[in-house]
Amino acid sequence: MSLAWSFYIATVLVYLGVDVMACWGLNLQYGYTGILNFSFIIYQSAGAYTAAVLTLGPNTAGSFQQYIGGANLPFPLPVIAGGIAGGLLSAVVGAIALRRLRSDYQAMVFLVISLIATAVVTDDVGLFNGPAGLSLIPQPMSTVLNLSLVGYRWFYVGLTAVICLIVYAFVWRITSAPLGRSFRAVRDHEQAAAALGKNVTGLRMTSFIAGGVIAGISGAVLVEFISAWSPGGWLYQETFVLFTALIVGGTANNAGAALGALLVPVAFLEGSRFLPQFGPPGLIDALQWVAVGLVTLVFLWFRPRGLLPERRRIIQVPGLQQARTGLPRPFDYEKTAETR
Amino acid sequence: MFLHAIGFGIVTAAVLALAAVGFTVQFGVTNILNLAYGDVMTASAFVAYASDSAGLNPWWGMVIGGLFGAVFSVLLNRFLYTPFIRRGARLFTMIIVTIAVALILQNCLQAIWGPDFYSANISAGATVRVLGMVFTTTQLILIAIAAVTLAALHGLLRYTRLGKAMRATASDPALARNCGVQTRRVIDGAWLLSGLLCGLAGVALVTELGSFEFTTGSEFLVPVIAAAVLGGVGYPYGAMLGALVIGLATELAATYFNPTYKDVVAFLVLIVVLLLRPQGIFADVATQKEVAA
Amino acid sequence: MTSVQRQRASSAAQAALLRVDDLAKSYGGVHAVAGVSFDVPRGRITGLIGPNGAGKSTALGMIAGAIKPSRGSVLLNGTNVAGWPSHKIARRGLARTFQRSSDFSGMTVMENLLTARYGQRGDTLRGALLGRRYWRAEQESLTARAADLIARFDMARMANEFAGTLSGGQRRLLEIMRALMTEPEILLLDEPMAGVNPALGARIGDYLLQLRQDGLTMLMVEHEMSVVERVCDPVIVMAQGEVLAEGTMDQIRSDHRVLDAYLNG
Repeated sequence: MSLAWSFYIATVLVYLGVDVMACWGLNLQYGYTGILNFSFIIYQSAGAYTAAVLTLGPNTAGSFQQYIGGANLPFPLPVIAGGIAGGLLSAVVGAIALRRLRSDYQAMVFLVISLIATAVVTDDVGLFNGPAGLSLIPQPMSTVLNLSLVGYRWFYVGLTAVICLIVYAFVWRITSAPLGRSFRAVRDHEQAAAALGKNVTGLRMTSFIAGGVIAGISGAVLVEFISAWSPGGWLYQETFVLFTALIVGGTANNAGAALGALLVPVAFLEGSRFLPQFGPPGLIDALQWVAVGLVTLVFLWFRPRGLLPERRRIIQVPGLQQARTGLPRPFDYEKTAETR
Repeated sequence: MFLHAIGFGIVTAAVLALAAVGFTVQFGVTNILNLAYGDVMTASAFVAYASDSAGLNPWWGMVIGGLFGAVFSVLLNRFLYTPFIRRGARLFTMIIVTIAVALILQNCLQAIWGPDFYSANISAGATVRVLGMVFTTTQLILIAIAAVTLAALHGLLRYTRLGKAMRATASDPALARNCGVQTRRVIDGAWLLSGLLCGLAGVALVTELGSFEFTTGSEFLVPVIAAAVLGGVGYPYGAMLGALVIGLATELAATYFNPTYKDVVAFLVLIVVLLLRPQGIFADVATQKEVAA
Repeated sequence: MTSVQRQRASSAAQAALLRVDDLAKSYGGVHAVAGVSFDVPRGRITGLIGPNGAGKSTALGMIAGAIKPSRGSVLLNGTNVAGWPSHKIARRGLARTFQRSSDFSGMTVMENLLTARYGQRGDTLRGALLGRRYWRAEQESLTARAADLIARFDMARMANEFAGTLSGGQRRLLEIMRALMTEPEILLLDEPMAGVNPALGARIGDYLLQLRQDGLTMLMVEHEMSVVERVCDPVIVMAQGEVLAEGTMDQIRSDHRVLDAYLNG
């Protein structure tokens, strides 16, 4: 295939990997635990900025970019640091904002937090270079490996795939363990979950932070690839695209989340690049967003569970087929207080 | 400088009060957090602009904007929100629905009118000194319009059947229904009133700002919600007070601190209220009410 | 306290698994519960009845930790748990059902039961990340236990169905089964018969009696008098936020204050 196509497909694959990871992270928070985290984008950004700053090197006075921190760390340390940053920021926000609040108020709180974060970063140039953001971030291992432009792209696809697998293993272990069930219990009926001894707040925080770490990693992977990041990419609409992806693909289903990532941010938004340019600039963008909104409404109406709804996990137990009535007594309740 | 800020604050508060009261009336009766409210304001402003361009007196444009807001809101509820609720959509589904509507509306406006800034057609007018503060005549008219409209609303809520029915539904939908209140009509009424105020506020906002673009209304949404929640959801008088507080606070912050942090004041107020006292300063008890549709 | 007093206190505490003392809740100026005191004796099913608005569900909520009491104490096996968050009280051996169905509708019956037990190995982040090898054995024994319960309550057909697809009565059973998975010392039931057809209601009554025979202590808020009669002893009557009378069903029935309360309340 032509070089241009090869270049483009490699790029799209990296975006796909990043979006799939982001969807897995948000799915953990929203699909499994029922947290309407409309601030998801800021944890991705935290990861992105951390990784960027740790790759750019320390801020020298008089350089055209001003930012805090800085080091020249080799890959994969910046990505790991990005994950940690996402996790730390989620811990702080979660401690403040995750509380017993009606769900729409909770969503509003998260939305406003992301607005505050955007405003602060944009206005304060000293923090992360203001609205211009950071750029010219060196790409991982690019000096070590001597690859062509396209070659490097495909190398990065491989890198992204490996990181995706690691994130998937993390998410899979959590959701297939009893912890995943506890998350879903909190989602379905938090009072009943508490009545079973589950620490609802603790479980929410765990899910929130785990999702935040994944968000940070996804942001870091993206920023190391595109070499630039600015607050304009922080808007709350970006989070909404991920929500649409989950609604379309299927919540509480990791395959569904991946499918949603493929269909919405990638196929749909990227795909519209190929439409012939019509109208004034920005028209296609605007129509894209209208379509995203419409897709969300259509799916919420016709197929709220998504294309791949939550799986029914069947647990086989030998001998259960016979329905026994009568009095086998599995438990003995005559316990004294001391044995508790 | 202080009086200057107070003056600005009062004008902002007037516009904010119109919008916040509209928001709180609808939220109180229907329990739906309508995040598309800000974009309906923008849409109304654009409709007014269109009518101005057609040659009508721009003050009529405000009326038309208000009517558009009213009709649009009723239809939005009738054909979108209510069907979802009838289907059993819960609160968090509804908020995603309203965000989707906001996104669609805002981007339709962008598609039609582009990303450019438009000037408001009502000119500022001569400056007037009142009590040591400086206002333009237009600003004074806006304040007057706000005051008159809110007084009329007060009368409606207090003395008419619809108003009493709305207050009853706001405090206890199930009980109101059992008492024979025709919920359907009350809800339509709430959206109509709310939409009217929304439209008027939208045109007033762009008039006060002088120029506007497709995101102007949605940027105003957070102060509106902050004022409504601060005063207690469903309490119009609370919303008016909340609007005053936030209007003054944001202008004072802009004058004495960094003007770019003006928005952040409203953001912080909203978060603090939601996290610490979601029922607002003036309300009694916050309950997880059912959604009324 | 002298040692004699301590002994007397402890033997009194032994008889009552749960002791409520001057428990009260006010909302603003309204006294939902105006100071109630009663004992829930071990190994019996105690009924809590009264007209609407008597404060029974509020009292239950306070005992379970869902509502914070305005004052008073709740002694569970001698420890005062009043004001504790509900998950901490649950970890002390108190299980409860809810008035409206509280099943985890996005999970199957089996999953509902498996998630019930607190403190499972795979339930922490560390445990989950350590993988199946770490928590599998415990899950298998829990599964066997759940299977026993399912068989006992005759729910085999529905074992792998989503809890959301169950009928109202089946959901009640699921709630009770789920509570039993925690091996509680005391089970609080909030109107278990509400909205359940009489046949299934009778079956639930049977199960409750079986559980009592096994030694489980229960406190049941209920309106269905026939069930209360059949299953509960003792019975506590509440009205207007206060305890009106205590005793067996016969004693209650002949108490004129109770009759007044039901007629007027």
